Amino acid sequence: MTYAQRRRLGNLALDALTWGLLLVMLAPVVWLVISATQGTGRLATGAYDLLDPTFVAFKDMWSSVNFGKYFVNSLIICTAAALLATAFAASAGYALARYRFKGQGVFSTALTGTQLIPGSMFLLPVFLGFIWLKQNTPVALLDTHVGMILVYTAFFTPVAVFFMRSFFLAVPRELEDAAMVDGCTPFGAFWRIVLPNAAPGLLATFVYAFLFAWDELLFVASLTQTRAETIPIGIRNFVGNYSEEYGQLMAAGVVSTLPVLLAFFATQRWLVKGLTAGAVKG
Amino acid sequence: MGGAGPPSRAPSSGPPPRTPPIHPMSSTPLTVEVADERPEHARRRRRPFAGGLSKRRLPFALIAPALLFMVLVHVVPTAAGVALSFKNLNTFTFSQLFDAPWNGFANYDSILFDQANPLRSGMGQAAVNTLQYTFLTTVGTLGGGLGIALLLNRKMRGQRIARTLMLTPWIVPSFVVAVIWGFMWQSDVGIVNKVLVDYLGILSERPTWLIGENSLWAITIPSIWRGIPFAMLLFLAALQSIPQDLSEAASIDGAGPWRRFRHITLPLLRPLIAVQLLFTVIYSAYQFTIPYVMLGSNPGPDADLMMTLIVRQSFSNNLFGFGAAASVLLMLAMFVWVAIWYATFRRDLQESR
Repeated sequence: MTYAQRRRLGNLALDALTWGLLLVMLAPVVWLVISATQGTGRLATGAYDLLDPTFVAFKDMWSSVNFGKYFVNSLIICTAAALLATAFAASAGYALARYRFKGQGVFSTALTGTQLIPGSMFLLPVFLGFIWLKQNTPVALLDTHVGMILVYTAFFTPVAVFFMRSFFLAVPRELEDAAMVDGCTPFGAFWRIVLPNAAPGLLATFVYAFLFAWDELLFVASLTQTRAETIPIGIRNFVGNYSEEYGQLMAAGVVSTLPVLLAFFATQRWLVKGLTAGAVKG
Repeated sequence: MGGAGPPSRAPSSGPPPRTPPIHPMSSTPLTVEVADERPEHARRRRRPFAGGLSKRRLPFALIAPALLFMVLVHVVPTAAGVALSFKNLNTFTFSQLFDAPWNGFANYDSILFDQANPLRSGMGQAAVNTLQYTFLTTVGTLGGGLGIALLLNRKMRGQRIARTLMLTPWIVPSFVVAVIWGFMWQSDVGIVNKVLVDYLGILSERPTWLIGENSLWAITIPSIWRGIPFAMLLFLAALQSIPQDLSEAASIDGAGPWRRFRHITLPLLRPLIAVQLLFTVIYSAYQFTIPYVMLGSNPGPDADLMMTLIVRQSFSNNLFGFGAAASVLLMLAMFVWVAIWYATFRRDLQESR
């Protein structure tokens, strides 16, 4: 075998390995979708018939545990929290990207430091605080959308700040200088010139926060009882509490993955930029 | 918001503010700042009113919302949590909330030293499990992510689509990951045992995955599976920023693929590996969703992690003071990890700047 032949063969083997690994990585997701179309009966025996799919679970899941309620709650809470987090992150990220101010280092470190706190550490005081507010004030945060929105906003703002910062750093400084020469205030330059130029960054940050809020379970399990419960709680109810509806559980898994999957692939290009910028450039 | 600053100069000492608020949506009156060629002191005099967002005050106003939320939801509750760890907050004192009686170091004492306390044995096992889970998940995630990133960094037909599809596991929410794998691990009908026993014949007996000694693997493997794509994404971005000519030059000098990787690629990836190590360890040590959804609020002694134990003791058994003390210890453990991490990678961090 010549050198070129050997090389081509080696490349072919590595290509095959790559595609093989991709298949392995995708297999569990494919298996979820297949399982969702098999019905509870066949799931219980493990005797799948891929040629005879049934979609009845996708219909029943909405009535047996009122999945629609969880779905709508998730949409409301995650959208509102992601919007707020993006807004807060945009303004704070801009300050970090463009200004030198007193306490900047402390603020940056504190933002990173929030990631060091275990959820159980501040869940309990937040829980007690919500109860205290309910008993002593008219402020209703326990088991309400507002309560969850406020908590999630705080959760996902810190990382989002670094996200937005990296997007602002990519906006040329000359744009603002020109705007200020033309009579814009520093805030006006930010609001009317820089923000529109960082629109993809805003979108990516929003999707980031939405993705993570969608996946949150610990706090929503403790801070809600009936009214503001989200999808992760609903998923739990397919097994145990109500019945052993595995077919519907799988269908619910598919349905609760779809929104984030679509949001991710629609904004992938910018999201990847935001995700990698912070870590790779330090 | 802008009015919070000290009015350092009396409003009457200079000409009146020149401009009305310019942004109709803003509740804060903003002064227009025109490029001003005059010396610093002259300019200061002309911006006398505290209501304007000067360049000096603007950054503080900009970080205010993020700062407020951080203080209200992270800083104050964490401080309160530390305080609660010294209190006797349980079913009987719960109605007193933050006014529960002080308990000194009793919570810590029972966790660390009280041999007779039945909670303590569970705690030791949970700590060991968490350590194992964190180690395996971190090694698996970073190793797998780097391996796949190297493969996808090669020129290949369909490279783009492969890179995009490879991200899918990371988009699947953790609670769905737990559902998928919980079903795949089923002993009798699960696909894992079918493949291992029926199709490939690697094992002759059907192992149980969800109970007993295998159950730690039952949560570790899905965690690695979900973590790999994100690690890969970061590694791939870093690999693409490594200039090709370095590798080519080494190749001409006769360095094989392994030596090129070992002596060129790996050292350049060190800062990124450091960052990923830091956060993957923290994230894994605080894992809750996957064991909780897959194995329930009590995953059993073989797969109980610190977080599942703390949440169970706090919210199912109402041992809130105990849970708070355990949370503090878990957080301290992470501080130790950060210190070790910093001492190890200090030089890499400076070099990457």
